[in-house]
Amino acid sequence: MHWEAILQALRETFPAETIEAQAGLIDETFIALPPDGIHLAVQVLIERFDLRHLSTITSQDTGGEIELLYHFWGGRGLTLRTSLPREKPHIATLTDLIPGAAFYEREVSEMLGVTFDGFPDPYPLLLPDDWDGQPPLRQEESND
Amino acid sequence: MTKITIPIGPQHPALKEPLSFLLTVEGEQILDSALRIGYVHRGLERICQNRNYVQNVHVVERVCGICSHIHTTTYCQGVEALLGLQVPPRALYLRTLLCELERIHSHLLWLGVLAEYIGFTTIFMYAWRDREIVLDIMEELSGGRVAHAANVIGGVSIDADEAHVASILDRLDVLERQIKLFLDLIRRERSFQARTRGVGHLSAEQIRRYCVVGPAARASGVDVDLRRDAPYAAYKWLNFQVITAEEGDVWARTMVRVLETIESLHMCRQLLTELPAGPLTVRAPRRVPPGEVVSRTEAPRGELIYYIRSDGSDRPARVKIRTPTLTTLITLHDQLAGVHTADVPVVLAGVDLCIACADR
Repeated sequence: MHWEAILQALRETFPAETIEAQAGLIDETFIALPPDGIHLAVQVLIERFDLRHLSTITSQDTGGEIELLYHFWGGRGLTLRTSLPREKPHIATLTDLIPGAAFYEREVSEMLGVTFDGFPDPYPLLLPDDWDGQPPLRQEESND
Repeated sequence: MTKITIPIGPQHPALKEPLSFLLTVEGEQILDSALRIGYVHRGLERICQNRNYVQNVHVVERVCGICSHIHTTTYCQGVEALLGLQVPPRALYLRTLLCELERIHSHLLWLGVLAEYIGFTTIFMYAWRDREIVLDIMEELSGGRVAHAANVIGGVSIDADEAHVASILDRLDVLERQIKLFLDLIRRERSFQARTRGVGHLSAEQIRRYCVVGPAARASGVDVDLRRDAPYAAYKWLNFQVITAEEGDVWARTMVRVLETIESLHMCRQLLTELPAGPLTVRAPRRVPPGEVVSRTEAPRGELIYYIRSDGSDRPARVKIRTPTLTTLITLHDQLAGVHTADVPVVLAGVDLCIACADR
């Protein structure tokens, strides 16, 4: 895996953005991208580098926003990071490029209330069909 | 012929764990299938946010009732990276020893389940009887057959003296003889081949499309194994082969898993004979500095990944767990299309389901 080449290709794809690679603690590189750039970036990873193994998608509520981390693996780890607003967060689905993303997107959707635009059947993965509480991994709304 | 939709599960006498299938059949043939999981979802990721780092070792050990040790290994290695700890070599060896013993026990359990599903009761009885050898060894080392509590942040809580090492080595020889007997039986038994060859086929392309990991990927010719590709714990000091096959069916998955079991026995011998002297732990502070880490290991069912984020307190801000079963469950729709109803249990057994793992 040519990590410098990947970084270079992403910089060429998004000339208006400042794209920096951040080294993780165990064989991992983190790259932050705007939410509307994730789908195109993954297309570049697949078409130019044959990097198509999506290990999972981590989602977290950092308080201010909903953060998504797309963990790829190709001999080393590559994590694409993006942030969505807490109000009605939505992002393009990756299932058209990587069918294996379906379960991960369904889980992110039910646990943090993120909508994946273009996802064919967004029913719950783990929660009961009649779940009517808030998405369980959201931080509790503050009362003040 | 009329199409019929058969619901199977979530509670069903033939299922070991709760999951729900809707099978659409026409006569004997499966036309379509729909899968629903989540019946043993325990909210473990959320629970981890409400416990401190030490307590969470025991929470993540309960993700899976078969491969509990690999979960604590992946979690502890992530937290150790956040703390910048250097774990002593003896601890890494003992940690890896339990990982490989656990793989042997998991693969033998799987072989027994598959054999029972296809009606080959002899192999079922043999495999589960001889799996007791590994369970006994793990119980002597840690006090537990399933939950071992062997990992702590910064090392391990178990040890083995010279006499114990010699006794384990003797029993590994017995186990290797037995596993080679199974291998010989399976290879010569025509009924076993008739039930598994060509069943549950997945091509290398399908493996990549669905991001499948572990023995299921290796049995379709996709050569991935994190023990070799990203060596963690003591794997960088071990010599071993990664087993692959090309056929991509339940037969190939059987061969990969049984041959992997023999490879794991060789690794256990290396770990025991080369066990370095030295301390078992380094002291770990209770508070973890702010940061994030992605920790990956090769569980018996394939790549296991943890993401841990620390906000500087004694509790993690986020623990994300993706178990390998989740990657194989998604392929069941493709594997079941067109097969006969009698092959459904073989397909299900072939992917080595662990529903509690997938649900967390």
